[in-house]
Amino acid sequence: MKLELGYIYINDIKFSDLSKVENGTLYVNKEEIEAMILEDENVKSVKVEIAKPGESIRITPVKDVIEPRVKVEGPGGIFPGIISKVETVGMGKTNVLKGSAVVTTGKIVGFQEGIIDMAGVGAEYTPFSKLNNLVLACEPVDGIEAHEHEKSVRMAGLKTSTYLGKLAKDIKPDEVETFETLSIVDSIKKYPELPKVAYVQMLQSQGLLHDTYVYGVDAKRTLSTLINPTELMDGAIISGNCVSACDKNTTYHHLNNPVVHDLFEKHGKEINFVGIIITNENVYLADKERSSNWTAKLAEQIGLDGVIISQEGFGNPDTDLIMNCKKIEEKGIKTVIITDEYAGRDGASQSLADADEKADAVVTGGNANELIELKPMDKIIGDIMPVNTIAGGFDGSLKEDGSIVVELQAITGATNELGFNKLTAKEY
Amino acid sequence: MVKEIERVGIPVVHICTVVPISLTVGANRIVPAIAIPHPLGNPSLTMEEEKVIRRTLLGKAIKALSTEVDGQTVFED
Repeated sequence: MKLELGYIYINDIKFSDLSKVENGTLYVNKEEIEAMILEDENVKSVKVEIAKPGESIRITPVKDVIEPRVKVEGPGGIFPGIISKVETVGMGKTNVLKGSAVVTTGKIVGFQEGIIDMAGVGAEYTPFSKLNNLVLACEPVDGIEAHEHEKSVRMAGLKTSTYLGKLAKDIKPDEVETFETLSIVDSIKKYPELPKVAYVQMLQSQGLLHDTYVYGVDAKRTLSTLINPTELMDGAIISGNCVSACDKNTTYHHLNNPVVHDLFEKHGKEINFVGIIITNENVYLADKERSSNWTAKLAEQIGLDGVIISQEGFGNPDTDLIMNCKKIEEKGIKTVIITDEYAGRDGASQSLADADEKADAVVTGGNANELIELKPMDKIIGDIMPVNTIAGGFDGSLKEDGSIVVELQAITGATNELGFNKLTAKEY
Repeated sequence: MVKEIERVGIPVVHICTVVPISLTVGANRIVPAIAIPHPLGNPSLTMEEEKVIRRTLLGKAIKALSTEVDGQTVFED
């Protein structure tokens, strides 16, 4: 399976009468976007705003971040099973509006949503402060159920991102990158001497607004399975999560998964990157056992030598992580796990809820409990009041002058467990 | 909390969904629960059926509390 990603670099975003991409600027017709979102009868109103790098803007509570992409050649479309038909994606050509994103906010959906500061110290902790963002502040109709509200905001983001992506369909990319995965048999023939490595991606699927979708299927109703790396780049996996902001994978993370990109980088040189196993993080112990059994079984079945495992979220998914690690190691396959830590504000507490001596190669995205002070911003997009109650915030987080003291947990992407950030920790 | 209460000499039963975490943190008497969002119930059942679940789990926990254990024990049935 081979995919060419064509990057069209976006350096600026502006409102305009006509939506288009020209000379690195993304022009957006606000009214068209508003009308499209208001087609959903569960959305009462929407405010479409722009947030650029360096501007004194705080976006909160952030639900999802999405990168606009469009299929140029090959089967299917972006976000199969949700926006496009259920066609297998990951082949042909896809254009990407690199440097731009759609951010969804508005009345809080779940209690665990995040903050993106476009300037100041907070901006250093979230990768999305570096993007030219189109922000959608959606207000739901009165009396709506939380899960319907979640779906409306999720779809508003995906629809808007698809709309923007389509603007780039006929544009010649500034740069093209090619990714190819051979069949397992062919890749072993091609690289007989290289260790066979796969990526085990754990998807948040606890339910109650903690959900991820694969080709439109709710991940908690799936068994661990195989997927091609390039399918992720076409939006096969999307976020429906209202989980702690620092270490949830937004749709942007899924599209740009750095573990996948880094494994491709080493592919054919140090390792043979044979593919991805996706697995879930459910709330029944039997599900945790079954899913990790299947992950280990698949790893053995395709004859792997090594595996990188990434977690999403924290707490009871620590058990899924350790089960995956332990059971794969027991098959004689080496593992490295990527997680983050909830080690207390002083960093002295136990970092994970579960542990095992087989988990002896660990990469961390940092300590989510660390406190940070965010200075006031000139403009708020969304709603500032939930800051006292979102995960990572606490009563008194929001000061009178508009500054905020929160744990890193509240900042979108701060301790991301795919390594999509700068934070880490080392043991000496 | 389980460990601190046991430290002063009072036996504790930990009713817990994620048994591996309970084992990792060092509980001695563990009774597996239903699910993380609803450890002692199941919203897909009727109130009467849920009452049976609660009573059964509580009965199991009381039995565990009065059982001598030699190290960490999971009371499956």
